[in-house]
Amino acid sequence: MSASKCLRCLVRPSPTTLPVSVPQHVPKNIAPFSTTGAKAGQNPKPAPSVPKNPNALQPYRSGKKMTLSKFKKNKVIDRGKAPLPGERKAWRKRISLSNDNALPVPWLTQMRPGDMADSGNVAKVFSLPAGLQDQLRACEAFKPTQSWNMFRTPSVLVRNETVDVMGRMQQAAGENKTARLVLTGDKFTGKSLMLLQAMAHAYLNEWIVIHVPDAQELTTASTEYAPIPGTDPVQYMQPNYVLKLIQNFRKANEAVLSKTYTATAHPELPQNITVNTPLLNLCQTAKEPEGAWVVFRALWNELMAKNVPRPPILFTLDGLAHIMKMSDYRSPSFELIHSHDLAFVRHFTELLAGNTSFPGGGAVIAATSRSNAPRVPSMELVLAQREAEQAPRGAAEVPQPDPFFRGYDKRVESVLRSVDVVRVNGASKPEARSLMEYWAASGLLRDTVDEKLVTEKWALGGNGVLGEMERAALMTMRI
Amino acid sequence: MMASSRHGVKATLRGAFQHIQGEKWQPLEQQFRSLRLTQSRTTGRRCMSTETSLTERQSFRAAREFDLDNLASQLKTVKHARAVPVSPSYFSRSPRFNDRYLGLEKLMRMYGNLPTVPAADAGRVAWMSLADIKQAWGESVKATDYANCLIILKRLHQIHPDLKPPEVTRALDEFKRDIQAFDNEPSPILIDRYGRALGVGKRKSSTARAFVVEGDGQVLVNGKTLANYFGRVHDRESAVWALHATDRMDKYNVWARVEGGGTTGQAEALTLAIAKALMAHEPALKPALRRAGCVTRDPRTVERKKHGRPKARKGPTWVKR
Repeated sequence: MSASKCLRCLVRPSPTTLPVSVPQHVPKNIAPFSTTGAKAGQNPKPAPSVPKNPNALQPYRSGKKMTLSKFKKNKVIDRGKAPLPGERKAWRKRISLSNDNALPVPWLTQMRPGDMADSGNVAKVFSLPAGLQDQLRACEAFKPTQSWNMFRTPSVLVRNETVDVMGRMQQAAGENKTARLVLTGDKFTGKSLMLLQAMAHAYLNEWIVIHVPDAQELTTASTEYAPIPGTDPVQYMQPNYVLKLIQNFRKANEAVLSKTYTATAHPELPQNITVNTPLLNLCQTAKEPEGAWVVFRALWNELMAKNVPRPPILFTLDGLAHIMKMSDYRSPSFELIHSHDLAFVRHFTELLAGNTSFPGGGAVIAATSRSNAPRVPSMELVLAQREAEQAPRGAAEVPQPDPFFRGYDKRVESVLRSVDVVRVNGASKPEARSLMEYWAASGLLRDTVDEKLVTEKWALGGNGVLGEMERAALMTMRI
Repeated sequence: MMASSRHGVKATLRGAFQHIQGEKWQPLEQQFRSLRLTQSRTTGRRCMSTETSLTERQSFRAAREFDLDNLASQLKTVKHARAVPVSPSYFSRSPRFNDRYLGLEKLMRMYGNLPTVPAADAGRVAWMSLADIKQAWGESVKATDYANCLIILKRLHQIHPDLKPPEVTRALDEFKRDIQAFDNEPSPILIDRYGRALGVGKRKSSTARAFVVEGDGQVLVNGKTLANYFGRVHDRESAVWALHATDRMDKYNVWARVEGGGTTGQAEALTLAIAKALMAHEPALKPALRRAGCVTRDPRTVERKKHGRPKARKGPTWVKR
């Protein structure tokens, strides 16, 4: 500990302790104290009264005091400024895509349009180009739970499943068909990230992308809804949600939308949209929740318009279980509304069921979730059945419904009856190794990446579940 | 009891003849002769004990067997002779222990020079503790005596097994506990025809059985992967700690069943189970595993609750009245 005064100062008499500092001219005849203010002839004037601040510290008498109240009064502790409403949530939900403390990885290459569909690129890490990052950020493809903030640039690992999914998308677009996929798999295996990769692939290949970042926002009665007049059975629109979606959609797909033109005129819109107007202009007409649903319907009609050149479209949704159950909305007769009666959701389910398809080809991809997902027995059953049916050589036995269970939902089964199920498994060892080398090069994994370490983290991560590997390798404190 | 035994009779007789001849101590041969003379007492010859005739010297024969039934009537023995105890430590406070102690010392004198084996090779023996001895023989034994006795016991136990005399073995057996826990050799874990070694481990109230085969590092616990079964990373790490500590993570596959207890207990039971199975594959890993703390079972379990207390040790709440 350093002394508060240096020793030399202690040796020499310090100027503050010199008796010189005492004013010498004070008259000696004045008593050193006075009993009353009046008698003290030279008593200084009282200080000008300042308005009392209740928070100002009151002078306390030191020493023991009599306790007058029965209980101790709570001390007022100054905790600083409380965060404003919504500030905490914004902090919690913020997404930072880079970290200047992480090392740049020298061998990292930027992703090009064909990279993720090429099976030669399996177990390679690619960084996302800046423009693509903006697009993905605009459509809320990044999630706060994903650890983008640990690395210098957002990068993704190309896996076997990635190549599979991208291949299906490419094939469907080439044949003017709509690929209908459901991504499923264990917790933390990277289903949402697979969606992100699909979106990245679509953006790079100039597709139009519509993304529902979290399906629960649609069905948990958290946005406004209203019945659509003239529909039977009654369908419901969600203008606020749709407005936000259109705005994000416009921001993310600006380049493609400006090159895609309307096929018909839309006099019903607040701004008159004529034929051969860029779709971007159509999207820009959505400014208020009131007219948002009309704009969305016009946009949807344009996207689904036949006999005009349309780029392939990718429609993705995360958290499939939420739109496969009764929603929390109520009808005017106070009955629960089925999620498929929400008009926006119905667009998605019709595509997923194969009842409608994109004119220029494309893909509908839904991802299930394991962390925040209601139990939907029908969905679980049908997905398991589809998976067993798709297994090579009929290896797996097709599960049958429980005859004594009545919670099955016919509408859900009809939607999912013919989808393709892609199971996202744990990564293979070469993929895990490649990812760990990327971690090590970023300066996050401070170990030699060898067979032993890879196997260890691979096993600790539940046979290659990437999120769990990340937890075991990067998020556990090592001292 | 003593008077009825053969030894007792001899002692009695000794006393009788002492009385007759007025001498304190006689050599054994003289006693025998005097016994013969007692037969000739009927012929009127007396005090011949110091004389030896030629005929007698020539026809020296062993004494006839005592006719125990008629002896008392033939000899005027003392009716109530005081029996001399066999044991020299009869009047000490701990004759049983002392006798055995002296016996051990005698054996030590006799066989102390026999070749020995190192103490580690002699085999572990659970000797009776001081408390056991006090309890079993009903005597108060000094701790010092017991300690000295134990030194001799251990030294005698080290005598080479091929040369160890049976009397030594008998003497040592008296100091062994009834239950020899060290004799219970755990049956060695064998590797079956599928290449599996089954290890069993316990911790707290969990039991784990781990089948370890050569492989590439896959782990399944109750049919789930490690990440699915253990939510905590720490538990996952401790479950495969035996493999991690010996750098064998990528050499073996594990298939395990765990039951009972909580997550920590199950994870640490797995540590032990995998370590044991691993030692079946590679016995040379035992020191490394011991250093990693994977060999010894942790004996700590929940302490039982006691009456009068809200928990095992917690005191009751203080109440004013």
